Amino acid sequence: MSTYERRVAGKRLKRIDGIGKVTGKHVYASDFALPGMLFGKILRSTEAHARIVRLDVSKALALPGVRTILSAQDIPQILFGTAVKDRPVFAADVVRFRGEAIAAVAATSLEIAEAAVRAIEIAYEPLPAVFDMEEALKPGAPLVHGAWGDYQALPVLDREGNISGRSSMAGGDIEAGFAECYRVYEHRFTTQHVHPGYTEPRTAIASWDGNGDVSVWCNTQLPFDMKNMLAEVLDLPASKVRVVVPGIGGGFGGKLRVGVEHFAAWLARRSKRPVKIVTTSEEELTDAYPRQPTVITLRTGVSKDGILIAREGRVLLDCGAYANSGPATAALALQMLAGPYRTPHFSYESVAVYTNKGSTGSFRAPAGPMGNFAVESQIDLIADDLGIDPLEFRLRNVYREGDKGPAGDTVSSVSIEESLRRAADAIGWKDRKPGPDGGKSRGKGLACSWWLTTGGSSGVYVKINPDGTVTVVSGAVEIGTGAMTGAAQILAEELGVDLGDINATDVDTHLSPYDYGAQGSRTAFSVGNACIAAAQDLRRQIGELVGPLWNVAPESVRLEGKGVVSGNNRLSLAEVAALSQRTGGGLISHGTFIQPMPTFDPTRVRNHPLPAWTSHSFHTHAVDLSVDDVTGEVSINRYVVAQDVGFAINPTYIEGQIEGGVAQGIGQALSEEIVYEGGRVLNANLTDYKMPTMMDMPRVECILIEKPSVNGPYGAKGVGEPPCIQPPAAIANAIAAATGVRIQTLPITAEKIALARLKDGD
Amino acid sequence: MTRQALDLTINGESHQLMVEPHWSLLHVLRRELGMTGTKENCLEAECGVCTVLLDGKAVNSCILLAEQARGRSIVTIEGLGDPEHLHPLQAAFIEHGAVQCGYCIPGMILTAKSFLDERHGRVPSEAEVREALSGTLCRCTGYQKIVDAVIAAARQMNSWPEAARKA
Repeated sequence: MSTYERRVAGKRLKRIDGIGKVTGKHVYASDFALPGMLFGKILRSTEAHARIVRLDVSKALALPGVRTILSAQDIPQILFGTAVKDRPVFAADVVRFRGEAIAAVAATSLEIAEAAVRAIEIAYEPLPAVFDMEEALKPGAPLVHGAWGDYQALPVLDREGNISGRSSMAGGDIEAGFAECYRVYEHRFTTQHVHPGYTEPRTAIASWDGNGDVSVWCNTQLPFDMKNMLAEVLDLPASKVRVVVPGIGGGFGGKLRVGVEHFAAWLARRSKRPVKIVTTSEEELTDAYPRQPTVITLRTGVSKDGILIAREGRVLLDCGAYANSGPATAALALQMLAGPYRTPHFSYESVAVYTNKGSTGSFRAPAGPMGNFAVESQIDLIADDLGIDPLEFRLRNVYREGDKGPAGDTVSSVSIEESLRRAADAIGWKDRKPGPDGGKSRGKGLACSWWLTTGGSSGVYVKINPDGTVTVVSGAVEIGTGAMTGAAQILAEELGVDLGDINATDVDTHLSPYDYGAQGSRTAFSVGNACIAAAQDLRRQIGELVGPLWNVAPESVRLEGKGVVSGNNRLSLAEVAALSQRTGGGLISHGTFIQPMPTFDPTRVRNHPLPAWTSHSFHTHAVDLSVDDVTGEVSINRYVVAQDVGFAINPTYIEGQIEGGVAQGIGQALSEEIVYEGGRVLNANLTDYKMPTMMDMPRVECILIEKPSVNGPYGAKGVGEPPCIQPPAAIANAIAAATGVRIQTLPITAEKIALARLKDGD
Repeated sequence: MTRQALDLTINGESHQLMVEPHWSLLHVLRRELGMTGTKENCLEAECGVCTVLLDGKAVNSCILLAEQARGRSIVTIEGLGDPEHLHPLQAAFIEHGAVQCGYCIPGMILTAKSFLDERHGRVPSEAEVREALSGTLCRCTGYQKIVDAVIAAARQMNSWPEAARKA
């Protein structure tokens, strides 16, 4: 770390897109419109698993204002998917979940499109369906995909029947490990479907031009991935697909993959008119990319003094009818089973399972909250049984600098002990004796974890304009986190300008350099590093431009105070940019970054797409809560997060990530669930899908730890995903401390607590 | 077609429209007038992103028929302040880091304005803000910085004469 005082990076500065957002001028994809555009609507299956025996669109097509209706027979039979190419645009012969798209209408108004969808005649012949993961794995269970063996898939995947992917990690000698344990504990935990809950519905507007190229304005987190996936389903070279993201109202991993873009593009292609589609809340809760439910079993052996010796773990993950990111999420669950703990002997397996329910995705910290809920709940159960303070138990077992992770990769920049101690001190852990609290029972709990900073490459174009401002063109979308403000702060720092001098453009895949996308806690980290590279290159260009004028070595030229300086020579940055425009085509640079991949031991890993983690972050959550003795309702008195962020590029927006992530985690802990009865969602609306409101949220006390990473800009680590990982476990542990009741299924509703306390004869 | 003439006053300007009787105010604002500062999500008054002021009171424009706004004063986010002259709530939301993706923010700010106007300058407690704004969902922020921003704006507006606050 350099010791110089930073002017811009590390400061609590206002975000660069704030004014547009508070004045209503920021244009989101859902605000976007084109002249003459049609409105699209999707006909969705009302059966969970059935053969389509009749589909008649003639009456619908005859309605005035209906321009196009498409179903599987009207377009090439192309299957798409991230890990497994298993999903059609429209269900062809068979529907595999209730809510699956069968046909799409484009009409001159949304009302006409809706009427047309209702006028389509359809008949089904039901097929045996399977909704439960464990049932789906039994011999003779109905196959969700009879032709699974014919699908194209990532070579790393191990698939069979209803298994879309199976991964494992193992080290040490599991049998010998268990043999030397003082005690061995076995527990089972289950977690639920939760929706990312972005406030802007998924939206796409597609338009084709005279060259047969299609432009799609949409609110995706991954414009380049979207471009490639659309090229696939449209059967076009990728160069003929342009994706533009005007603005995006939240993503949280729910807007990574094709949502309605492909329908809009196909409808626009056939109707020869622009087509806009916006999802409804009902569609969001039946056919989106929610967090997968899991069943997790853990068998953990310890010594008498509470040292972890051996652990066996298995994760079943319900990816629904189409695999999407299920196999990769299941694989990531293996690192979560390890947790931030030394465990000499281990064997972890995960299985992603098809069922006849909606597909699922990569909601913020995929696999994080599920694995952490199981591991951190069990740690408390073990510590209690051994009579060891749960904090002390964790401190005895956490990683130390240079330890090996489950894949044999080196764990570096380790701060787990500091995060545990600081969160515990802040919540008043020493004074945690549970007790009555006026008709309530009060208790404290904590949970810790680790997470990665995802790799993938980033490119930026940085231009210095002749008025001295700077334009950064990135392929990364600002989804709200403030990551692009963070990257701009880094760029301003490097170029010697103010944050207010930096402009960032929207993403347009025809114009923007490549970026792996706003996912995996990587945007500020990776784009920030690309900005540093671009600034270095601009310094070189400027040195070569002014060095000969001043008769100084180009390397002696510095950028500071919005100027270019060497010795007594000084020009403003604006003057140098203007000079370059007159003589050399202007100052522009292409800065790039990719995080180096760590080495690992391949003998420990099977069928895992992301076996070794990089730029690890460490974090602890501690909660003080009260449980109503009659109703079981939980109220949170205090909530503390101690998170290692490496370097806090903008503490205000890092706190914003933590506070918002905790809110999502509290929702998963206590109230949120997409409730299925068989294949049917019972609560497909925002009244019955219960996200935390302002009244449900406590203040979140944030402690930012800065243990620098090797690869991050100024030592920064990924920040965005981790805060939603620990709330379910920390809250479950505090509820157990307060009431003596241990709930092992999420969400921990008031009813579950009250019923469990009744059973306990409490 | 059953369109009927409807004059609406939005942000002090009068608009002569022909509307279907079943159209919501949200539909008229966004689709007919292209005023997209008012946002659209659940369309059943659960999320609050479509909030506008009707005669100064916060309402969900998704379940209000445009016809019900006849003869009344409508204020949308476009009418609150502009980039050069931000309303104290708008400025406070930026200052306190209360804006992330921003999609709920127009509705959140207008709900806060209606709430503060009703209090005639009295600065609310945190609990009062949380209750008053609980009808608008935000998935990014965890709400804390929004609460802080509203209280800070209330403190600033507290010193204003009544007429200036309502402007």
